[in-house]
Amino acid sequence: MAVETTAPVDDRRWLLARLDGKYTPYLIIAPFFLVFGVFGLYPLLYTAWVSLHDWQLIDGDQGFVGLDNYAALVADANFWNALGNTLSLFVLSTVPQLPAALGLAAVLDRGLRGRMFWRAGVLLPNVISVAAVALVFAQLYGRDFGIVNYLLGLVGVDPVDWHTETWASHLAISSMVMWRWTGYNALIYLAAMQSVPKDMYEAAVIDGASKWRTFWAITVPGIRPTILFTVITSTIGGMQLFVEPQLFDPGGTATGTGGSDRQFQTLVMYLYEKGFRLFDAGYSATIAWVLFLVVLVIAGINFSVTRRIASKG
Amino acid sequence: MSRTLVGRAAVAVVAALAVTGVAACGGGTSGVDGGKIKLSIGVFSDFGYDSLIKEYQAAHPDIEVEQRKVKMEQHHTQLATQLAGGRGAADIVAIEEGNVAQFRQSKDKFVNLADYGAKDLKSQWAAWKWNQGTADDGAFVLGLGTDMGSLALCYRRDLFEAAGLPVDREEVGKLWPTWQDYAATAQTFTDSTPNVKFVDTALNVYKAILDQTEEGYFAKDDSYIADKNTKVSDAFKLAAALGEKKQTGALAPFSQEWNVALKQASFATTTCPAWALALIKAGAGDEAAGKWDVAAAPGGGGNWGGSFLAVPKQGAHPKQSYELAKWLTAPEQQKRIFKETGNLPSEPAAYQDPEVTATVNEFFNKAPVGQIFGNSAESLQPTYRGTKDSKVTPVFSNALARVEQGKQSTSDAFTQALKEAQDVAK
Repeated sequence: MAVETTAPVDDRRWLLARLDGKYTPYLIIAPFFLVFGVFGLYPLLYTAWVSLHDWQLIDGDQGFVGLDNYAALVADANFWNALGNTLSLFVLSTVPQLPAALGLAAVLDRGLRGRMFWRAGVLLPNVISVAAVALVFAQLYGRDFGIVNYLLGLVGVDPVDWHTETWASHLAISSMVMWRWTGYNALIYLAAMQSVPKDMYEAAVIDGASKWRTFWAITVPGIRPTILFTVITSTIGGMQLFVEPQLFDPGGTATGTGGSDRQFQTLVMYLYEKGFRLFDAGYSATIAWVLFLVVLVIAGINFSVTRRIASKG
Repeated sequence: MSRTLVGRAAVAVVAALAVTGVAACGGGTSGVDGGKIKLSIGVFSDFGYDSLIKEYQAAHPDIEVEQRKVKMEQHHTQLATQLAGGRGAADIVAIEEGNVAQFRQSKDKFVNLADYGAKDLKSQWAAWKWNQGTADDGAFVLGLGTDMGSLALCYRRDLFEAAGLPVDREEVGKLWPTWQDYAATAQTFTDSTPNVKFVDTALNVYKAILDQTEEGYFAKDDSYIADKNTKVSDAFKLAAALGEKKQTGALAPFSQEWNVALKQASFATTTCPAWALALIKAGAGDEAAGKWDVAAAPGGGGNWGGSFLAVPKQGAHPKQSYELAKWLTAPEQQKRIFKETGNLPSEPAAYQDPEVTATVNEFFNKAPVGQIFGNSAESLQPTYRGTKDSKVTPVFSNALARVEQGKQSTSDAFTQALKEAQDVAK
């Protein structure tokens, strides 16, 4: 894009260069928006359209019903139950997860022996297929022959029915989510920490600041945008939690209710049950749209809260 | 047919993709290529078609057949989305018995096989099997029957012996002519060996009892009757009582924990359709060889599972598809499939064949499975499945599970189930 300044300026060339500078960036980002339009925006709008109809999965449109699906959803106890479960699982898995990731990243940021090994290691749980993780966790949390219950038995605790009790199932599923995502977030924090200017740490050391104080006064504010980013992505992921609880359900997708009492059915599981087992696509689309709005609201709250906390430090 | 945990895992992952809209359509591959007609057939688990397809291609040089195998739950969900999208379905699709009523509701998406002469084949099948695959009082032929599940009761000989019960399969069968007798046997068993569960799950007992009644959740005119049908409440109470007395393992059928429990020999009986033998063998492992045996089921006969081959309308070659489905479901082929995979034929000419009736299963203490399952299917009065049966069933399964898990009393669970079933059945 270099414009020749030494040679006499050729009008046409000048014009081309101007156009180039003006429009090329748009051309370069255009494919993303094109793909987003086809695979993101169009389904989003189409889902909204479907949600305004009595729409059966196989037989299609059965007539326009306006906001009836939304009215039914608001009065649907199963929906509120699923929303409650989703929030509970989100809080149980994300709130301990991000501080743990931050701590892990801080440790990895030090000069450890075999640094590469540890850094690759924390990502490992995320690389392993989620199906395999679910198999292992189902084994760990088995009621009769599970290892967790065996260990609890050693300290005199009665066996817990991990799939049946509401809190037990939430804890078990959250542990699966944490196992998969803590390392991933730690690596993102680590990458951000390494771009914090080293001279700031040196200045802090000269001022006699403790490690703890340095961490809170320099590291955390230094990676604030990254923390905001992980909070947002974790919120979106947490609110759309599906695979872990679905695989944790011994009934599988055949029932799809997240336990006999819907004790760990998340919003997306409910969406799947309605749309793909009960074939009520209209209602399913309604859940999808309400979920979208819920994610927007919660992500917005988290964004403002995190920004305030991070700027205090 | 077989439902394994890995399969479930795959289902959930694919389901996740489907939710995000990635797996929306598979894209049809059928067509004419170089003069050859390409047919696709979509099945789940093992239908035993591999060698048969090769043979069919050799006999019909103008036809090329592609087989697609998917896990069961995923198969039916995928088929539903393909029918909805109007493309992507295989030329011939397998539909399992528990799902066929649901697809009968959308029969306009399928070819009426009667248009190609399917009605002439009617006498090949056990009457109930033929009827399950038809709609509009037999005018619309949706699918041709493949295998059937039939029903028997599998029991562990060593655990029966320890409880002082007979171990010979004939005598064991005589212990329980009815399900009440079965419940009484459970009591005898628990009294002498309280630490072993008599049955894996109340769910399958309930399902087996209900499947022996002519009408279950729905009357034959497809109206919802679960709230007034005493057969439903009786079956529920009998199965729930086993759960309340802690005589069941409260296990999700065919789940990972169910497999572990099999391995640990922590339950003594389980309802077993023909296809479940392979699952029990896989779960219990080789060291349990000869310890399991097969007896007649209480209540006289039964059927659980088995499938049909249907032809979706969206395919390009309905005639050729029908011909292939007809050939694959003919008695000679069903017999060969039985020998290869153990899938039980649904046609008298095949299941009464001496070769089939003489078949014994080594793992199950040399039980004459061909004979046991054949007899059971013979005396069968199958239950009518309403178009919304597959929606109502999980509601009652969950209710029973809550009783087994000690979360609810039998009457509370049943009341809640009726209320929920009313909602999904409307």
